[in-house]
Amino acid sequence: MNRSSSIAFATFFGLGCLLAAPGNAQQEVKQEYVPVSREAKVSPVTQAQLTAADKNATNFLLTNVNYAQTRFHPAKQINRDNVKGLHVAWIFQTDVRESLETSPIVVDGVMFVTTSFSHVYALDAKTGEQFWHYNHKMGPITTYCCGPNNRGVQVLGDLVYLATLDAKLVALNAKTGDVVWKTDIADPELGYSETMAPTVVKDKVLIGTNGGEYGIRGFVRAYDAKTGKLVWNFDTIPENSVGVWATKDATGRDMHRDIQAEKDQLAKLGDPYKRLGGGVWQNPAVDLATNRIYFVVGNPSPDLDGSPRPGDNLYTDSLVALDLDTGKYICHFQYIAHDVWDLDAVSPPVLLDVKDKSGKTIPGVIHAGKTGHVYVHDRKDCSLIRFSEAMVPQENMWVLPTKEGARMLPGANGGVEWSPIATDPAQELAYAINLHQPMHYRVENSPYPNGKLWLGGAFTAIPGEQQSGNITAVNYNTGKIKWQVKTPEPMIGGILATAGGLVFTGEGNGKFAAYNSSNGKELWSFRAGAGVNAPPSSYMLGNKQYIVVGAGGNTQVSFKRGNNIIAFTLD
Amino acid sequence: MSASPRPALAQSIAERVEVCAGCHGQDGKPIDKTIPVIWGQPSGYTYIQLRDFKRGDRKSEIMQPIASSFEKEDMLAIAEYFSNKPWPDLGQPRSPKDVADRALRAERSVGCTGCHLDQFQGTGTVPRLAGQSREYLTKTIADFRTRARGNNPGMSDLMLATPPDDLAALAEYLAGL
Ligand code: HEC
Ligand code: HEC
Repeated sequence: MNRSSSIAFATFFGLGCLLAAPGNAQQEVKQEYVPVSREAKVSPVTQAQLTAADKNATNFLLTNVNYAQTRFHPAKQINRDNVKGLHVAWIFQTDVRESLETSPIVVDGVMFVTTSFSHVYALDAKTGEQFWHYNHKMGPITTYCCGPNNRGVQVLGDLVYLATLDAKLVALNAKTGDVVWKTDIADPELGYSETMAPTVVKDKVLIGTNGGEYGIRGFVRAYDAKTGKLVWNFDTIPENSVGVWATKDATGRDMHRDIQAEKDQLAKLGDPYKRLGGGVWQNPAVDLATNRIYFVVGNPSPDLDGSPRPGDNLYTDSLVALDLDTGKYICHFQYIAHDVWDLDAVSPPVLLDVKDKSGKTIPGVIHAGKTGHVYVHDRKDCSLIRFSEAMVPQENMWVLPTKEGARMLPGANGGVEWSPIATDPAQELAYAINLHQPMHYRVENSPYPNGKLWLGGAFTAIPGEQQSGNITAVNYNTGKIKWQVKTPEPMIGGILATAGGLVFTGEGNGKFAAYNSSNGKELWSFRAGAGVNAPPSSYMLGNKQYIVVGAGGNTQVSFKRGNNIIAFTLD
Repeated sequence: MSASPRPALAQSIAERVEVCAGCHGQDGKPIDKTIPVIWGQPSGYTYIQLRDFKRGDRKSEIMQPIASSFEKEDMLAIAEYFSNKPWPDLGQPRSPKDVADRALRAERSVGCTGCHLDQFQGTGTVPRLAGQSREYLTKTIADFRTRARGNNPGMSDLMLATPPDDLAALAEYLAGL
């Protein structure tokens, strides 16, 4: 969903009773005390630094650690033996008590975090003290499906890049938070919005869009990092979106398409490419060696009703590779053609060396799907090498949605939602957090509603059926599950692996924990008081390793809201 | 209508919204229970409704003629004006526990707060539901189900996916928030 998906919004527990920060109320509260802005002493971030981010244990420069998006951080001071002594270094409270999905970025002791409604804070990474706060003046019209989220910023030179809920791209002065330039990405009245962190590379700012629930035509774009001018645009929906009439999904299961009926529709309606959805709302991976980017494209619009959109609906539910300089198409692989379950592709892909079918090591790309499989591809042509055992229960796939509601597992949030995976290449493991939410899939038919919510039905959590989650380590060279830890609630947010032999991840009930990355044994935990539904980061300062994570709950999977950024360290 | 010279621009916002008070209330409390509260509603939502009335995407014999004279800037300004007003207390009772439990179960199944936000406060183009008139909520939910209110098929789909008894509980629960 548009966030992709997810409307399914299956939720648990009563919500905390705190008045959130919508609109004006938030602004009013803010008048009480306005902290003085201080200049953040941050040196310009060079392309060379970003390129070498995988070896940099001091900083956390890119949303998923490095351009390959491995979420493997090289710091190793905090390890399996001493992690039990991890404690809070500082807590920063933002002004916004809503869904918190930020990936903290750390540049030489300065941390950048974001909150719902596109706020940005620059903090002292040592003390949690605020340098500055950018309070985005939101336009009156915002259209998004699954919470007013923001997943973070990236820094290049002395600019901090932010994409906002009202579909603007903003460059801020890293020292002061002042706006340097601002560009309209698309019209929010037509269903476009931004929640992802941009990816900055080679003087370009790469950005996709939300809107798969609103009949948008998705895209990935490159803007000039200095001026905000558009460099190239790639429509995620080509003018010929019909494809090859695939009847089976990536794993070989029959999707029960009525191809003849679709062909009749196609003759009647023509190619549905203009309103076919296909949002991209998580970061692309960048392969500088071949000058390519790899990203995944979300669901078709409307989500559950396939009748207005005959064909495979390319490139929805696909892995896609483009040329970084020109935005030209290189290859794609579609996981689910003509999706009517919103089981699309969202979690950011990761570039790693993998074993091909003959056992030879080749450049690969892996993606964890809402289906609950980890898919392993050949980076050369996007082709599928293997897929893992399912990490969550699968039942009744692919039953077609009905008017009364058809039960199928996984539910429409996954499997793996937008949550980035982590990896540990030395162990050949990928770590994914999963949801288990039994759902009914229902279909309804309605014409394109001019940028309004266009679901084509509903997916609803089945009352009385137990939900849960898990953390799963998958060997991507064999496809086998190495270990799995069950959690009481579905998991959404993200995970980080470190060279200390650990993985860190949080739960909706406020638990934040460290696990032995080889066997899943829990080694340390902390209760944050609000849902820990954001990807953790790690950095070093004054010879100390820190782990930092947002605890602000989640809108989509209604977890208790809060507004804390919490940093941990050993003594 | 659009061809005539526009006295609209000369008219101040305060003048333009005078007519609204006749139904939506001098003090924000509507004169009839089937008329919605518009004070304190997020401006994006009010703008979109006025736009939809004008376009005919949302049908209403009363509101369509009123909205049809507005241009986009008027609608944005009017929406902004009402969003800055305080939400009125209609004095509707809190729902009894069994009703609230039923409403919250239904909320969990669909995830209403995923869009309407924590405590149903609304934001952007999504309306506040907390404290809205129960009779109006009941009517507009029924209209979504029949698609008599056809300006948001997604909401219609979600309402159709929710059993009528649960929706009645939701209307009572939301009114009492
Ligand atoms: C004669 C009575 C009347 C007048 C005058 C009137 N309204 Fe309304 N308004 C209504 C009714 C009745 C509805 C509910 C329509 C429905 O049930 O669909 C409504 C609905 C609305 C809504 C949709 C609210 C929601 O929650 O969906 C908005 C916005 C609105 N009116 C704005 C205005 C504005 C602005 C004015 C003045 C320019 C105005 N109205 C004048 C009777 C009136
Ligand atoms: C995916 C997002 C989403 C979800 C989930 C959702 N809504 Fe809505 N809802 C909207 C939007 C957007 C509107 C505005 C409709 C329009 O544009 O006219 C709306 C409008 C409404 C209205 C009309 C309010 C008015 O003032 O006229 C009611 C009532 C309502 N929703 C109730 C619910 C209930 C109850 C649930 C859960 C069972 C729910 N909604 C779930 C997005 C959502």
